[in-house]
Amino acid sequence: MIRLENVSKVYKGDVVALRDASADIQKGEFVFLVGPSGSGKSTMLRLLNKQEEPDRGTIWVAGKEINGLSAHRVPFLRRNIGSVFQDYKLLTEKTVFENVAFALEVIGRPKHVVRQQVPAILELVGLAGKQERFPNELSGGEQQRVSIARAFVNRPLILLADEPTGNLDPATSEGIMRLLDRINRTGTTVVMATHDQGIVNMMRRRVIELDRGTIVRDQARGVYQ
Amino acid sequence: MAKVSYVVRQAGSSLRRNFTLTAASLLTVVVSLTLVGLSLLMQNGVSNSTRRWSGGVEFIVFMNPDATQDQLDAVNRDLLQNPQVSKVTFFTKQQAYAEFQKYYPDAPELTQVLTVEQMPPSFRVVPKVADENVIEAIGNQFDKKPGVYNVSYAKKSVEWIRQISEFLKWGSYVFATVLGFVAIVLIWNTIRTAMFARRREIEVMKLVGATNWFIRLPFMLEGLVQGLVGAAVACLGIIGVNWAWETKVIDNLSVAELKALVATSGQLQFTCILVLLAGTLVGAAGSGFAVTRFLDV
Repeated sequence: MIRLENVSKVYKGDVVALRDASADIQKGEFVFLVGPSGSGKSTMLRLLNKQEEPDRGTIWVAGKEINGLSAHRVPFLRRNIGSVFQDYKLLTEKTVFENVAFALEVIGRPKHVVRQQVPAILELVGLAGKQERFPNELSGGEQQRVSIARAFVNRPLILLADEPTGNLDPATSEGIMRLLDRINRTGTTVVMATHDQGIVNMMRRRVIELDRGTIVRDQARGVYQ
Repeated sequence: MAKVSYVVRQAGSSLRRNFTLTAASLLTVVVSLTLVGLSLLMQNGVSNSTRRWSGGVEFIVFMNPDATQDQLDAVNRDLLQNPQVSKVTFFTKQQAYAEFQKYYPDAPELTQVLTVEQMPPSFRVVPKVADENVIEAIGNQFDKKPGVYNVSYAKKSVEWIRQISEFLKWGSYVFATVLGFVAIVLIWNTIRTAMFARRREIEVMKLVGATNWFIRLPFMLEGLVQGLVGAAVACLGIIGVNWAWETKVIDNLSVAELKALVATSGQLQFTCILVLLAGTLVGAAGSGFAVTRFLDV
């Protein structure tokens, strides 16, 4: 589903974000990217949905090499990739329903699809009764659920999560992880960057550890260390 | 269908949200295009009013409507024999009548009263020299000939109109060009501000895979609306000024060439279409620059 081959990324000022990184992630896998801040976790995620371009190496996503993907094809790549962030990126002037519906509307899905899919996905993430609330009326955990609903409503093949529990307390984080696990069980490949030790150790999934841009460990059913 | 309504709704709400900026760019478009339109209209009017003087004609010998064929022949012969004369064109009564109709296209009551027989035939003379005094000297030889009604000179009749209109034309073009640039920059800035206000939405749209055109279109429409609405208001202004000129000003003028300085309704329509096109162009340019500059993936 995802393949990186000798991928390097250097930012301006010779900051090495990723050095010669190679990894192969199968369909339906759940992968943690771990490592300290600045180790290249976020860069790796941003390379996968073409928010960044690699300086060297080749990247395949969903069976396609994306290095040479032309700018007008990028949106169609992203329709296969849901993204979740630490800061949720919800639109504060839209309700929960509208936030999720927005993701379908802007890719041209017809109204009846929106009316049918949005309540279903909100049910799935456990926000059935809160459709008409605004984001700032929700707790952090609930906001992250909305953001996950928005990322998943189009049933993408891949879900990328960048520190999704970074702003949440352990109990709430556990709820979010259960939700991501549930989404993973539907066959969606999940790649999650985190430095939340407790969660990684609890889940016991594949762990790719980065240190200053280099992959130093790739372990099935790993722990944080 | 859902897309069209989305684009329209977004553009509309953005126009409302940035009311002051929108008003500024709109007014600039209005002023700039009104100037262009009025200048075009004035040129039309001047060329309508001075048509008989085109092609180097420097003086016209008007004959009496009842001049005999012998008198006409005599004047024609004398003109052709004059070494300073390069070309002579005879203008019949019928042609004079047709020209008169062109002069007053919107006054059928006038052309109905006058008949072909009442129109003066004339000789239009292109001299070999440009010297005003020589031209006047030649003209004066014909003033007193039998059958001649009078001799009129380009210099005296229309030169001043031409000069004023040239001056106004270039003045308004320079001014309108500057304002046109200002309008583009203002629209560009308005669109940029609108995009900045919606940067979080744009970010989400990009992440969930909205196409670039889908993101751009509402902003481009917003710019286009500003250009087009500005042009429409300018058109109303031009039509208004034209109307005031024709109904309020002309009657109080005593100079024949100024009285004849009117554009036809066709020319007015054409000017308005040009102004609308220019407005569309200005709006598209301003918003086009903004969206390509600030929406790179």
